[in-house]
Amino acid sequence: MITTVIGNYPKIGPGTRAPSLRGAIGQYDQGKITLEELHRIEDEVTKEVIQEQVDAGIDVVTDGQIRWDDGQTYIAQKINGFSINGLIRYFDSNTYYRHPIAESNLEWNEPILIRDYKFAQQHSSKPVKAVVTGPYTLAKLSQRGVYSDLKTMVMDVATALNKEALALQEAGAPIIQFDEPAIIMHRDELPLLKEASEAVTQGLTCKTEVCVYFRDVSGLVPGLYQLPFDVIGLDFAWGPANFDLLNGFPQDKELAIGLLDARNTHLEQVDEIVAAVRRVAEHVSLDRLHLSPSCGLDFLPRQNARQKLARLVEGAHAAQEALS
Amino acid sequence: MTKGLLTTSVGSFPKPSYLARARTQFARGQIDQDQLNQLASKATEHWIRVQEEIGLDILVDGEMYRGDMVTYFSEHMQGFKISGLVRSYGNRYYRKPIAVGPVSSNAEMTVDWWKHAQSLTDRPIKGMLTGPYTIADWSFNEHYPSREAFVMDLAAVVHNEAMALQKAGARYIQIDEPAISTRPDEMEMASRALGIVTDGLEAYTFTHICYGDFLAVYDQLVNLPVDNLDLEMSNSNYDLLDELEKRPTGKGLSMGVTDVHSHLVEDVEQIKKGIMRGLQVFPPDHLFIDPDCGLKTRTEEESIAKLRNMVSAVRQVKFEMGIE
Repeated sequence: MITTVIGNYPKIGPGTRAPSLRGAIGQYDQGKITLEELHRIEDEVTKEVIQEQVDAGIDVVTDGQIRWDDGQTYIAQKINGFSINGLIRYFDSNTYYRHPIAESNLEWNEPILIRDYKFAQQHSSKPVKAVVTGPYTLAKLSQRGVYSDLKTMVMDVATALNKEALALQEAGAPIIQFDEPAIIMHRDELPLLKEASEAVTQGLTCKTEVCVYFRDVSGLVPGLYQLPFDVIGLDFAWGPANFDLLNGFPQDKELAIGLLDARNTHLEQVDEIVAAVRRVAEHVSLDRLHLSPSCGLDFLPRQNARQKLARLVEGAHAAQEALS
Repeated sequence: MTKGLLTTSVGSFPKPSYLARARTQFARGQIDQDQLNQLASKATEHWIRVQEEIGLDILVDGEMYRGDMVTYFSEHMQGFKISGLVRSYGNRYYRKPIAVGPVSSNAEMTVDWWKHAQSLTDRPIKGMLTGPYTIADWSFNEHYPSREAFVMDLAAVVHNEAMALQKAGARYIQIDEPAISTRPDEMEMASRALGIVTDGLEAYTFTHICYGDFLAVYDQLVNLPVDNLDLEMSNSNYDLLDELEKRPTGKGLSMGVTDVHSHLVEDVEQIKKGIMRGLQVFPPDHLFIDPDCGLKTRTEEESIAKLRNMVSAVRQVKFEMGIE
């Protein structure tokens, strides 16, 4: 069983050696430091965040998305045709993101995540997973603007992100994860997610993953399991019904169990983790399981995120011992 | 002549810079609670004079003594501690309450501030509370086995506070539930909790809700156990009025007529149009006029300009329509 994370990681917190990113952004906004200096500090924080994951014993890490304001704008701002509007609530959370709007047809223009990916890889002793907001979710969380129908917009985003994914593969990413939580809000749109998923994974030979978090996937399976991804990531903290939806999980696919609640500081017990893995292992063999938090850890204070990672690894070891 | 179109505000106003500075000094232990309270009191009086001068009908104390609408209450209850910093968007961070034991309150939380504000003016001061669902939803929970158990305990605490405000003389009490519309599957539970809060209250009650897809929860929304629904309207082009016209509610409406997330000050004619649309659906004595949300994120100048135009628009409409 592999331990991994879903994507973002708290940017600031106590007990860090890197300069405070919060302070640095404030100074940059006041014109006291240059953009280059800000980027240098983002790099420092990224290195530290990767090291925290490695030190915790996480097998497959991410760059923590330290440079991202949110899951939508960091990607949208580099896709031709998007401009960025005002703040809007992110799902049912008490966090906000800036609302992208399609001002003209959307097209890939330049590498978006490649430099970040290479940087992370250089500074990690563990494999780095590339994480991309999926085409369906990116379009659903944006304003349609010039697009009169959703499907055309989703497919244009899928085409653009496919170019990015191919570039990430070229840069050496062993696994690319596409986050598609928006499907839980519009379960009837699974056929559109399927079409977008086929387009965005076109030509990829590296391992691919889709992540659906914040709710269970009832009404979406088995279709969701059949999407063209090697790994299916589900949220078992905010979607406990997922335990009962694993019947018929494909034998040739891997399952990422989002088990530790990344939206609550409550720390799971090791025996709870073992019991949960045991339930899942009835349907998916241990060697095809990844264990992770339920979603990105940026909903938590940094110190709680560290605790969650430590507990995740502890739970994974205990489960491995108990079940193999 | 018919009476009505009372003007009010949703709750918060921007804090003067001396108070913002003092709050930072207090957090660092450089000044004590009394010194901070004196400045909060001075700022409260300032905003009461501003509201009187602009000519609002139902005043608020502006929440000069509160940091955040949820944190303030959690800090005055037993059972909560405060988390490390979590990010809400961009470079904005806040500390989130964590329920670590049964929540309760053995002292009044807002009554002294309400009395102080009311002592400064002959106009009614609205009592301002945050509702149980929103306090729970915007907190971490390390104690309660279910969200419902957490919400119901909070409902009892907020109910006691509402009764204490009424006993002190409050004729208007608002229970803010901005989170209530974010999760349709929990709306029934949230509504029950609000019913516990308003049970036995004779004061006129409002609940303020924002950020939701109101149409998705329309039936539950209009059945919430309060006298008046305070909804943001101007930032959605008053679209909800169509539905309210088709399916009358019997409740009062506080209609948000100025967008609190925009620097732009809406002109009087634009606001008048919104009010006239409201009057096609609601009789004047059921229609209250206010901004979309609390104004604390705007500057003082923007806040005053928005309120001034709002009151001017109401005065003109009243004159033209023969409303007293």
